[in-house]
Amino acid sequence: MSTATLTETQRQVMPAVMDRLIPAVEALLGAGAMGLLEEVERLTAEHDRYGRALVQFLEALSDVMSSAENENFPALDGAQQDQAIQKIEQALPQNFATVLEVVCLAYYNEPKVHVRIDWHGGAPQPAGFALPPFDAALLDTARQRPPFWRQD
Amino acid sequence: MNPADYPVTKKNWEELSRTTWAFHPNTRQQLADYPINDDGSAIKVFMYNAVGGSTIHWAAHVPRFHPSDFRVKTLDGVADDWPISYWDLEPYYDQNDVMMGCSGIHGDPANPERSPRQMPPLPLGPDGQRMAAAFDRLGWHWWPSDNHVNSQSYKGRDACNNCGPNVWGCNRKAKASVDVTYLPEAIDYGAEVRAGSTVFDIATDTAGRATGVRYYDTAGEAHFQAAKAVIVACNAVGTARMLLHSASASHPQGLANTSGLVGKNLMFHVYANAVGLFAESAPTYKGAIANIIMSQEFYETDPARGFVRGYSLQMARSSGPATTAIANASWGSAHHQNFAEHFGKSTNLGIIGEDLPVQSNRVTLEPQQCDRFGIPIPRVEYKLDGNSTRLLTHGVQQAKTALLEAGAQRVIEKPHSVNAGWHLMGTARMGDDPARSVVNAYGQAHDVDNLFVVDGSVFVTSAGVNPTPTIQALALRTADFICNERTDLK
Repeated sequence: MSTATLTETQRQVMPAVMDRLIPAVEALLGAGAMGLLEEVERLTAEHDRYGRALVQFLEALSDVMSSAENENFPALDGAQQDQAIQKIEQALPQNFATVLEVVCLAYYNEPKVHVRIDWHGGAPQPAGFALPPFDAALLDTARQRPPFWRQD
Repeated sequence: MNPADYPVTKKNWEELSRTTWAFHPNTRQQLADYPINDDGSAIKVFMYNAVGGSTIHWAAHVPRFHPSDFRVKTLDGVADDWPISYWDLEPYYDQNDVMMGCSGIHGDPANPERSPRQMPPLPLGPDGQRMAAAFDRLGWHWWPSDNHVNSQSYKGRDACNNCGPNVWGCNRKAKASVDVTYLPEAIDYGAEVRAGSTVFDIATDTAGRATGVRYYDTAGEAHFQAAKAVIVACNAVGTARMLLHSASASHPQGLANTSGLVGKNLMFHVYANAVGLFAESAPTYKGAIANIIMSQEFYETDPARGFVRGYSLQMARSSGPATTAIANASWGSAHHQNFAEHFGKSTNLGIIGEDLPVQSNRVTLEPQQCDRFGIPIPRVEYKLDGNSTRLLTHGVQQAKTALLEAGAQRVIEKPHSVNAGWHLMGTARMGDDPARSVVNAYGQAHDVDNLFVVDGSVFVTSAGVNPTPTIQALALRTADFICNERTDLK
C-alpha cells in the first residue's frame, strides 16, 4: 500500500495530463475526460511504486509550470501541455514511464475501451480459447531433414 | 500457493502481472521475497519465491540440452566440459517428463531421438503455423516446443484451455509446477512442507559437516532443524547467498567455498528479440504466451558466424491490451495508431543464446543492505561479453529474416533484453576437481559430504535452451545417488 495521495490541485491537473497521454479517439473521450482518475488513484494507493512515481511526476510538472507564463496546466492549449509533459519525460524518463504505465493500466481496463478494440475483457479464466488438436501433417517438411545435432 | 488467487482468475490480471506478481522480486515485494541489488547487472534477476519456486511463474518450456552442450571445452575450446554427459542425464529427463507430463512429439532432427511424449503437442495456432511455414520455406529447422503444459488431462490435472498468460500461475493445474506434481507425491511419502519458513543459515559442526538449518518461521521466530543431509535448491542467486552467509570457523570463506568459486560464474541466458507486425492476422493473443515452436537452426557452433556456441529461436505471442500499450505504444497523438499496429498483430521471435561462464559475473553478499530478517541481500554483477553480443546480433538478423518471410509488414529489432533474467545458473558449478568446482558430478559439495546442491547453480555451462528440465533431471540423479550410494544419510 502506498501513502502517496494527491492534493486537490493535483487532482485537477491529472485528468488534463491523462487526456494528453491517451487522447480521445473516435467516439471515446480521452483517459482523463473518461473519468479514470479514480482508477489511477486506486492503482497508486495500492502500489507504492506507482504512488511515488505519480506524486514525483506531478511535483515536477508543478515546478515546470511555475516557471511558465501561464501556471494553470489545464488552461494551456494541447501543444503547450505536450511541451510541459515532454520536459518531464526528458528529465525523469523512468518516472514518466511509470506514470504512463499507470494510465495505460487504468485505460485498458475500462469496458468502453474493450468494446472499441474488440477485446473480451474479464479474467482469462475460466473462459480461455479453443484448444484444437495438433495437426501432425504440419511437420511433413521438417521431418524430412536427417538428424543434424552435433555428434562428434 | 492457492491457485484461486492466481492473476488468470482476476479481471485486473495485467495490473497484477506488473505489481504483486511481477517477475522482479524488488517490484513484487511479497513476504517471501528478498531484495536484490542488481544495479551492476546488464540483466535483471527474475525469480519467484513460494512453495513450488519459480515453476509457479514459469512458461513450462522444456527443451533438453544437446550432447554438445556438455562438451564445450573439447568441441569448441571454451569454458569447461561437464563431468557428465547427455547420456548420463537422459534417463532422468525421461523420468522427469513422466512426473511433470510432457506435451510434444518425438522425431526432432535437431536433437537425439526421445521417448514418446506423454501427450501430443499443443496446437500451433494460426500464428504458429504461419511461422512454421516460413521456416519451411527458408529450409530452416523448426519443431513444436516440448511443453510441461497438458494438451490433455494428465495425472488428475486438467488440459490447458489456451487462456494465454499462464506464466503468472495456472489455476487449472494444466501447467506443471512443482507444487502440483512432485510435492504431493513427496508428501505422500512422508515429506513435511513448512511453508513460509526462511532458512538463513546452514549449520556445521567442528568437523565442518552440515548438522541442519536455522530458519525463521512465519512469526519471525528462529528455529533449528537438525538433518543428516542438507539439500539446497534456492536458485543460483539464492544458493550462493545461502552458502556465503553460512560461513563459520570451519568454513571461513563461506560454506563449500574452498575453491573460492561460490557465487562466481553466474550465467543467465543472453536474450534479444525481433517483433514482427502483421497487417492481417488472427489475434495473436489467443493461446499460450510462449512455447509454441522453436528453431535450432543456429544452435551448434559454426565458426563462419563469428562466435562460438549458438542459440535457439523461440516464438512468443502478444498479450493483453495494457501490456501491449505499455510495451509498445507511444503517448499523445500517435498512441492509438501505434497501439492498433501492435495489438493482436505481433509475433515475437526471441533469441535465447548460450551465456559462457566468466568469473567476474558473480553473486556476493551486500553487507550494507539486509532483508527484513537482517540477512545481507545478494549483490549481482554481470556484463555481456563480446561473444554474446555477436551471437545476439546474428540472432536478431535471422529472426528478422524469418518474420519477414512469414509476412510481417515491419520488424522491430530489440538487440539486448535487460529484463530477461529468468534463468539463473553457474554459481556452485560441478566438476571433478575440487580446486575448480564447488560440487561433484552428483551435486555433493566437495568440502561437505552431506551437503548437496540441486538447482541451476551447479551448471558448468548454460547451453542455449531453458534450463528447468536439466535442473530437474540433475536433481533426480542426485536423489538416486543419495538413495543408492549414501545410505548413511537415510
